[in-house]
Amino acid sequence: MVALETAVIREGETSGQNQQRLELAALSAPAVLFTIGMIAFPVVYTVWLSFQSFSSTGKQSFVAFGNYAKLISDNEFWHGLWVTLALYLLSLLLQLVLGVWLALALFQAERLSGIVRSLFISPFMMPPVVAGMMWLVILDPSLGAANYILTSIGLPSSDWLASPTWVIPTIALIDTWQWAPYVALIVLGGLQSLPPSVYEAAQIDGASPFKTLQRITLPLLLPTIVTATILRSVDLLRFFDIIYITTQGGPGNASNTLNIYGFRAGFEFFNIGYASALMLTLTTIVFGAVLAFNRLRGAVAW
Amino acid sequence: MATRSIVAGFTLCVIAAGGVVSAAHGADFDWQKFHGKTVTFLANNNPVSQALLTHKADFEKLTGITLKVDTYQEQQMRQRLVTVMNAHSDEADVFMTLPSREGAQFAAAGWYEDLTPMTKNEVAPDYDYAGLSRALLTAATYSGKLTSMPMNIEGPVLYYRTDIFKKCGVDQPKSIADIETAAKKIKACDPSITPFVSRGLKPALPYTFSNFLHNMGGSYMVDGKSALCTPKGKAALDTYSRLLRDYGPPGVVNYSFPQISALYRAGRAAMDFEASNELRTVMEGGERLQDTALIPLPPGDGGQVPTAIGWGIAISAYSKQPEAAWYFVQWATSPTVQKMMAVQGIAPPRSSLANDPDYRKWIDEEPVRKQWQAALDVLAAKGASEVGYPIVANPESREFIGQAVQDLILKQKTVDQACADADKALNTLIAQK
Amino acid sequence: MTSMPVSDAVLRRLNTLQLALAGIIIMAPVAWMVLSSFKPSFEVTAYPPSLIFSPTAENYGELIKTTPFFSYAVNSLIVTVGSAGIGLIFGIPAAFAVSWTRISWPAILTLAARMAPGTLFLLPWYVMFRQVGLIGSYTALILSHAVITLPIVIWVLLPSFDNIPRSVFEAAQVDGCSVTRILWRIALPLVGSGVAVAAILAFVFSWNYFLFALVLSNGDTKTLIAAAFNFVGEGSTQWGVLMAAATLIALPPLVLATLVQRWLVAGLTLGAVKG
Repeated sequence: MVALETAVIREGETSGQNQQRLELAALSAPAVLFTIGMIAFPVVYTVWLSFQSFSSTGKQSFVAFGNYAKLISDNEFWHGLWVTLALYLLSLLLQLVLGVWLALALFQAERLSGIVRSLFISPFMMPPVVAGMMWLVILDPSLGAANYILTSIGLPSSDWLASPTWVIPTIALIDTWQWAPYVALIVLGGLQSLPPSVYEAAQIDGASPFKTLQRITLPLLLPTIVTATILRSVDLLRFFDIIYITTQGGPGNASNTLNIYGFRAGFEFFNIGYASALMLTLTTIVFGAVLAFNRLRGAVAW
Repeated sequence: MATRSIVAGFTLCVIAAGGVVSAAHGADFDWQKFHGKTVTFLANNNPVSQALLTHKADFEKLTGITLKVDTYQEQQMRQRLVTVMNAHSDEADVFMTLPSREGAQFAAAGWYEDLTPMTKNEVAPDYDYAGLSRALLTAATYSGKLTSMPMNIEGPVLYYRTDIFKKCGVDQPKSIADIETAAKKIKACDPSITPFVSRGLKPALPYTFSNFLHNMGGSYMVDGKSALCTPKGKAALDTYSRLLRDYGPPGVVNYSFPQISALYRAGRAAMDFEASNELRTVMEGGERLQDTALIPLPPGDGGQVPTAIGWGIAISAYSKQPEAAWYFVQWATSPTVQKMMAVQGIAPPRSSLANDPDYRKWIDEEPVRKQWQAALDVLAAKGASEVGYPIVANPESREFIGQAVQDLILKQKTVDQACADADKALNTLIAQK
Repeated sequence: MTSMPVSDAVLRRLNTLQLALAGIIIMAPVAWMVLSSFKPSFEVTAYPPSLIFSPTAENYGELIKTTPFFSYAVNSLIVTVGSAGIGLIFGIPAAFAVSWTRISWPAILTLAARMAPGTLFLLPWYVMFRQVGLIGSYTALILSHAVITLPIVIWVLLPSFDNIPRSVFEAAQVDGCSVTRILWRIALPLVGSGVAVAAILAFVFSWNYFLFALVLSNGDTKTLIAAAFNFVGEGSTQWGVLMAAATLIALPPLVLATLVQRWLVAGLTLGAVKG
């Protein structure tokens, strides 16, 4: 029966295949054309700008790869790259560990009440601007609630965003507060899709819960974790909003990520050419990371 | 010496000269000339624009021009301005600008319309161009072009708590060294009070630091070279950063006016070195009204050279209707409007208003306003507009000044290292053309 | 190493405990923000922070009195609904086609725009929209925000479409249905909850985005989030008002998310497995 049906479809396809292909192309055409229409000009324009120098006297001149050469010899660029990577790795690690941990806890809970779900959704539904303002008030070293809580339970207070040592961990914590629940929900999806038979087998073998987690659950979850990694990487490598609201790259240049540096070069110091070169470099880094992780996902798929 | 003295202060009134220049063309001046036009104004959301815009309806009624206002906080405003100007857009006819920060840069980029002809040919009889602060006008003039009209005069002043000073047996500081002595005493006498607070945020602190540098006899540039490593430069870096580090609030490196004013207003700081414009903010709620005194930064080895700057209002070079735009600029900087703004706490850049009866009445209402006015008189008479390096890339120069101070507050470098690193970066910046 | 046998009940209780702890940590800052917005204006920066105070709506009153809060909210609503709409109209067929053909580059292309820093687009878009006289228009804002909503719609819907058994489409084809007809008549009704999730997420992320509106809007079309910075400025220390603004701005996304939390979680988790 099935074979017969398939054969019929095949025949139908050969006659209407072009028609169908055309239709499918037409379905994705609006999205594709819209995207190209919106991003082609900015990309080309930015590439062109990155070959220009806007000197402080306001004159614009073609400098070819001059801005890129300047980039390589610019200590602040390398520092920015370092800050970007440090913030990225720290945030990602925190979010993955806490996210997986939360997901396992959620998975254990027999059913999720609406309240729990709403709780977990709220942080990443919140506008980053609002989250930034909220934390800015809470973390203010002299006026905020965070230090009050710390000191009243006998812990030392912290300068949080005002400390060059702690600013990156603090920003990472803010971002983790916002996005670890998101990672948790994604990983929860992965957990729910794992075949129950695997666990049953492990139980029969008498494996301890920890061993089951280490040997079976985590490896099987790897593709989901990589997915979460990709999604977070895209945002974390371009880290902007929270820093823009809270520290503007400071204190000193301790939180001067590439994205913030590029923004400041262009809009605070009016060097649009150099800023364009910075932003394109950052885009390339993000793109490269996504491609690399995509490969990785292929490798860990099961 | 790149310092520009603000000579035409309130005290040196030249009212007699007022009106002479404009009288020639005043007779046929018609406020309704551009009736029906629409002028757009890109404003920075600060007390100056807030006060000005409360009178928006007056302007529209007087001229028949529709005023479209687009207000942003300073940073977003600059972001938008850079975009608009780089696209050569006529979208903003009029915008607010800080000549002391970006004047040279915007002038070099050709973003300002030259206002000189308009101030000569298109002025109302009562405009009193000559009454505007000569020094602020000079500070806004680049290669003979007048780029913006002064909206106000302001500068950092020292707010301090008389009750705490009394309790701790401290007298009004007579010198910069006295500030530190006072801070030390207050710290010992009442540990719950922050003895001294001022700006520690990197791009914001040159505004307050410059006053320390100048009072202590330092200068940013000597013979075309950055001079932070001179003995006077080092002393200023050392003093300013030590005050904030040892007597400032925790996390002061992120402090600019919002945090500073909040802290002082809440009664948690004894001394606050902030913009004169913040008077209204720190008096909000009235709690500080009776226990606050206000003076210019006391002298150091170099005497008293207060920082005095002002916001300017400029016409975009890409505006398609600079004449109509000028009518707004003229109205906004006219004696009538500046008088109305003055009683809202915006110090006018006009000497003639100092003796205006309404303004005097407002000043006399509160003792602290009298002191505020007295401090502004000093600013106007002796002030320098140099905040950061007198070079085209002034905004970027502020980064390196801020960095040096922050390195010291955070104890990341010695004074010698910090000033040497800053000088090196700044000399590179100065050499860039 | 043998572990002590622990009863299931104890384990479950421990688990509930750690979830409760997580819940508290997640909610505490938000609760603090909302609480602060009801404090008398200057008590927000009082130290030690006060937990007991007589709640007041004065901050909200001040906000509404001194800013055109509601007209900004209406602007936000127009831009958000418009961009979510474009995202859905362009995204649904695209997701379907990608799912059907397994050719994924169109989906990746739409995502590419999200890999560049947002600031990269500011000046070029300003130049571009100025050429056609659209600066300050809702159109420019909606189009720019659609760049954010489109990939969300596509990537949320992809796994939903993938989940529909192929045989359903094949049966329809036998009946002579065209691909387009299959999409609208058969596939779309099957992914209803996916569409709802996509729409909500598109709405929320468009509502939350501030950078583009900063340069593409004008005083009349400024979105709430872009105006948010203005609620605190030089000349005021009213942090209470700021917290009131923050609370009101965050309200629509949070309410929406709560309303559809069940689907949202299902949609997100599904997307992850297939995505």
